[in-house]
Amino acid sequence: MQPEAVELVVLAAAALAFAVVFSPAAASRRELLGKGGAGVLGAAAIAAVPTFDLALLVLLALGVLHSVIGGKRSLAIRLRGPLVAVALLGLGAFFARVQGPDAMERFAAVGLVAGLAAGVGVLPYLHPIDPDEPLVSSPVAWLAVVGPVLAAVVVQRAQSLLLVDAAGAFGAMLIGLGLINVAWGSAGAWLTESEAAAWRYSFVADWGLVLCGMGLIVADGQRAAIVMLFSIVLGRLPLYLLSRTAVRDKSVSGRPVSLVVAAALAGSAPFAGFAARLLLLRAATQLFWPLAIVLAAGMLMWLPGSLRLGRSLGLLKGRQAVGIALVLAVNVAAGLYPLPLLLAAHL
Amino acid sequence: MVDAVAAFVAWLGASVVVLADGRRGLALGAAISAAGMAVLALDVAGPVAAGSIALGGVVAATGRLRSGRAGWHVMPAGSTPRLVLCIAVALVALWIAAALTTGPGVSLRFTAMVVIGLSGARVLGADEAPALFSATGLLALAIALAAGTGQPPAAPWPFLAAAIIAGGVSWITPRIVRAA
Repeated sequence: MQPEAVELVVLAAAALAFAVVFSPAAASRRELLGKGGAGVLGAAAIAAVPTFDLALLVLLALGVLHSVIGGKRSLAIRLRGPLVAVALLGLGAFFARVQGPDAMERFAAVGLVAGLAAGVGVLPYLHPIDPDEPLVSSPVAWLAVVGPVLAAVVVQRAQSLLLVDAAGAFGAMLIGLGLINVAWGSAGAWLTESEAAAWRYSFVADWGLVLCGMGLIVADGQRAAIVMLFSIVLGRLPLYLLSRTAVRDKSVSGRPVSLVVAAALAGSAPFAGFAARLLLLRAATQLFWPLAIVLAAGMLMWLPGSLRLGRSLGLLKGRQAVGIALVLAVNVAAGLYPLPLLLAAHL
Repeated sequence: MVDAVAAFVAWLGASVVVLADGRRGLALGAAISAAGMAVLALDVAGPVAAGSIALGGVVAATGRLRSGRAGWHVMPAGSTPRLVLCIAVALVALWIAAALTTGPGVSLRFTAMVVIGLSGARVLGADEAPALFSATGLLALAIALAAGTGQPPAAPWPFLAAAIIAGGVSWITPRIVRAA
């Protein structure tokens, strides 16, 4: 198993443990542990199997299982994302293997990028979200648990499947897709009417930065991607979990803690998102400095959406308040000293 | 020649899955397509792989007969776009497999592309569980078959895994639960 994927599986397991301990509804804890545990195991299997084809079949099985555990969305909608991802990734791997003109390699890069986007649930394949749907059957499971491991595996396999030129095209497409997701996600989180959709768009915006980091072939880009994924799995996901009751009840809070949460969600210092953004900007300046300007402008768009999401947490007390404090503390620690995260991923 | 016939049979079966809405039509399509892919798998990965695909296809077809809309319902009214899709995908796959790409294994390349493409299209176009799960099973088998296009001889593991998925998915009865 590649170290990055191992680290992401551990982070997903930690996020699951947090969800079980700090989940607002007692009835959903057993469901979280059982079905969420199966999801983490599935993600681990995607990383552990020896070949890319087996990883795709595990992804397929996981997609089917996720679609049949129930939920408010129709079976077809739940099943389409992962299955389209498998089909596109399969075609991508197929085009990478066959002998032929250089265009085949480019097709392979397109298939891998499009498949990754469909699997994670980012543009151009956003999974619909329903605020009343249980967390385990919602598309957030793909955005924050399976998606990070899948992305690490696809990017690592793409490096071995694609030749140099196509690998460059693969990276460029990841950056382009990342920028689109940054713009669309941050604007959506700010402007959409539904709070649940705003949370989904905020995940998409974060994923935009992850894709940009993965597309930048320098070491700082990869480091930015792993820290950003940490920020998604152990920052945004737990905060989203804690906000679900308030989002359903449509209650908002203007307390000072909302501002701190908004700062964490926006990637302000000293939280982990800030370290990721710094690394990303440094990587962009190493490759092509105008990209850093575009990224910096995109990062400013996080502020309005994050202020809105910070307020959407509502009035949290007791166990949930402890949970928020813990999430903020962990993110501050990772933001101030991200080295252990990077060393664990061999970056 | 055998490979070419097997590739045609695999396309025909996948097309029936795309064109059918009834349980019998879907089962027949899955069985035919799996038979074609099993013949191709024999060449690239040996008898274990071929047997896995054949068995997976049989189990998938049998499971499909258990649930879904009764009857065949092949090419119901309004299915002309699906028919055009089947032919267009086949032509594009044939062009890529025979003219654009090089090396032996034209039939294998054609089958992998056409079955993945048609299964993906069926998933995007279908709303009912039987059609979705039939396409899922074919997609799993085609992903395993595509592994055979690699340079070293393909191992049987992807074929076994694909057969388990294809066989298992056809026996699933989805349920709707309320939010917790």
